[in-house]
Amino acid sequence: MRRLRLALALVALAAGLVNLALIVRAGDAPPRSPLYLVIAIVGVSWSFVAAGLVAWRRRPDNHTGALMVAVGLAYALPGLRLAQTPAGYTLYLLTATLPSAVLAHLLAVFPDGRATSRLQRVFIVANYATTVPLAFVQLLLVDPARLRCPECPPDLLGTGGQHPYGEAVMAVSDLWDVALAGLLLWIVVSRWRRAPTPRRRGLAPVVQVAVVLLVLFSVRQALRAVLSPPPPWLDGALDLAVLTTLMLWPLAFLAGLARSRLDRSAVGDLAIELEQAPSADRLQQALARALHDPTVQLAYWLPDQQAFVDGATRPVELPPAGGRSVTILRHDGDTVAALVHDAALDDEPELVQAVAATARLTIENQRLQAEVRAQLKEVRASRARIVEFGDAERRRVERNLHDGAQQRLVNLSLALGIARSQVPATTDGELAATLDEAAEELRLALAELRELARGIYPVILSEAGLGPALASLAERSPIPATVAAAPAHRLPARVEETAYYVASEALANAAKHARATAVTISARRCDGGLEVEVGDDGVGGANPDGSGLRGLADRVAALDGHLRVDSPTGRGTRITAELPCGS
Amino acid sequence: MRPTLLIVDDHAGFRALARRLLGSGGFEVVGEAADGRAAVTAARELRPDVVLLDIQLPDIDGFEVLARLREGSVGPAVVLTSTRDRPDYGERVDRSGASGFIPKAELSGAAVLAVIGSGRMG
Repeated sequence: MRRLRLALALVALAAGLVNLALIVRAGDAPPRSPLYLVIAIVGVSWSFVAAGLVAWRRRPDNHTGALMVAVGLAYALPGLRLAQTPAGYTLYLLTATLPSAVLAHLLAVFPDGRATSRLQRVFIVANYATTVPLAFVQLLLVDPARLRCPECPPDLLGTGGQHPYGEAVMAVSDLWDVALAGLLLWIVVSRWRRAPTPRRRGLAPVVQVAVVLLVLFSVRQALRAVLSPPPPWLDGALDLAVLTTLMLWPLAFLAGLARSRLDRSAVGDLAIELEQAPSADRLQQALARALHDPTVQLAYWLPDQQAFVDGATRPVELPPAGGRSVTILRHDGDTVAALVHDAALDDEPELVQAVAATARLTIENQRLQAEVRAQLKEVRASRARIVEFGDAERRRVERNLHDGAQQRLVNLSLALGIARSQVPATTDGELAATLDEAAEELRLALAELRELARGIYPVILSEAGLGPALASLAERSPIPATVAAAPAHRLPARVEETAYYVASEALANAAKHARATAVTISARRCDGGLEVEVGDDGVGGANPDGSGLRGLADRVAALDGHLRVDSPTGRGTRITAELPCGS
Repeated sequence: MRPTLLIVDDHAGFRALARRLLGSGGFEVVGEAADGRAAVTAARELRPDVVLLDIQLPDIDGFEVLARLREGSVGPAVVLTSTRDRPDYGERVDRSGASGFIPKAELSGAAVLAVIGSGRMG
């Protein structure tokens, strides 16, 4: 491949030099081509070949480079007219339209190097199929030399004279050129508009020059058709304008390449922005700006979960192959993150690598934070599950007591009652007394068992709700307790349960340690949550790290709530729990 | 004539004891039901004067059975019962429209008569 490219470069160089030698040798002899036009044509040829070889080397799989070289070589052909022999001149006339045909092909498929739509394919085929044959027909009917170059040598195919329709055929050919140029303009512009943002940036200079070129070309051909022929000064000026613009196109291509390849200033801006230790969101936005791709998404790798997540630890599915592109960022061989971006950025791996290298530390940092957040989320969820599991177990044990032991003792009590009723009052006073004693023992056992079951899980909570449960709690309290406020409506079970246990534990503390004489319980809806407050008039000095209050704080935290213990010595204790009711 | 009575409870042992206790305590036990739906059907067919209704039942609870019985024109007197205490149900017993509540361990013919005497039939 390298040799082929070197050979093509040498061929183009030689062809250009031959062109220049021919014009110098021709001197004043016809056909008089102005020296500047030949220089312009050689310039076009060389610039296309040079830029084409650069593109070819950079992207060997893309045909754009090869097409550009082909355009450059085709533009060396018009030099044949300078050979001043009828054969050379005829060959020139036949191939005169070839350079613009190859150029039209290049513009139609740029920058992918292949047609991507039906319209493009139709255009390329129509373009090749009409330009050279039209030139041939034209040659048969009319000797263009007679029309536009009286001093040129005769062509070998021509009639040597002028066909009556010759003028008309030339006008049709020129107008056909205008139509093709218009279609091409449409293709170029719509291709650009459909291009993804990161690619547009690199394409802009090329598209701008192509638009100017096609407009100039159309004007020249239209004037030729209408004025047939236009004044030589005007035609010459337009020729020069077209060729100059054409020479600029490969330069615009190289400029676009440089512009998109490594946008050092954007990478510099990124480095400055990273100084501010941006959040995950800001980091993603900064990367999007540096890559000129607003759709950039950064996904952090969590080895524990073997999954990619975003900054808020939501799972991210990497797109399947063939769609958007994924660049995996690694450090010391370990996956750190994935950059999901537009496939157009695959053309610029240097930019993506430069941006990734600049942001590596910040990305690594964010990945660690995402990992910690994910672990925290998991720990919170598992804590909530543990509390929920504990509560479910309490309900189950209470239900088992109720359905099992309590039920059997109740039956026993009834059976004892029946037996007692069958003992005649007159006989055996001892048996009757024993049965009465047994019944009394049983009554106490049942009462204790009920109290135990209630302590395990207060069934009134699920049966009647927090308000009645608190009222019942206050009623059974050994020190006078009042419920100052309770929600009128039912709340989620775990909120009701937690609120109940807060009140129950606080009440137990007040009775056991605080030597209080009065307790007030209140539970109020507030701001989407519930605030439970239990205050007593005891000695204060409660230890928030004691096992009871510590367990309560954990339970409240499992609901993402907060527990405050305010217990100044000698001034009572106030325990407040804020419980969110969400989800 | 002795008042007729339907026993509703999911524990067969309790039903048998209650039948003996209430049968000798002044009632004619006309039927038993082991769950809420069977209780509603039995009450409509047997038209007992009194239903002894356990609150904790396997399908619909005693309060729901009571509400369904009240949909009929003239319902029986209903006495709620449970292994648990009345306060465990908050004000639900008061609001249910039952004649009264007797903890299971304190069940006797006299207790039922006292409840229905002071309640609906009084």
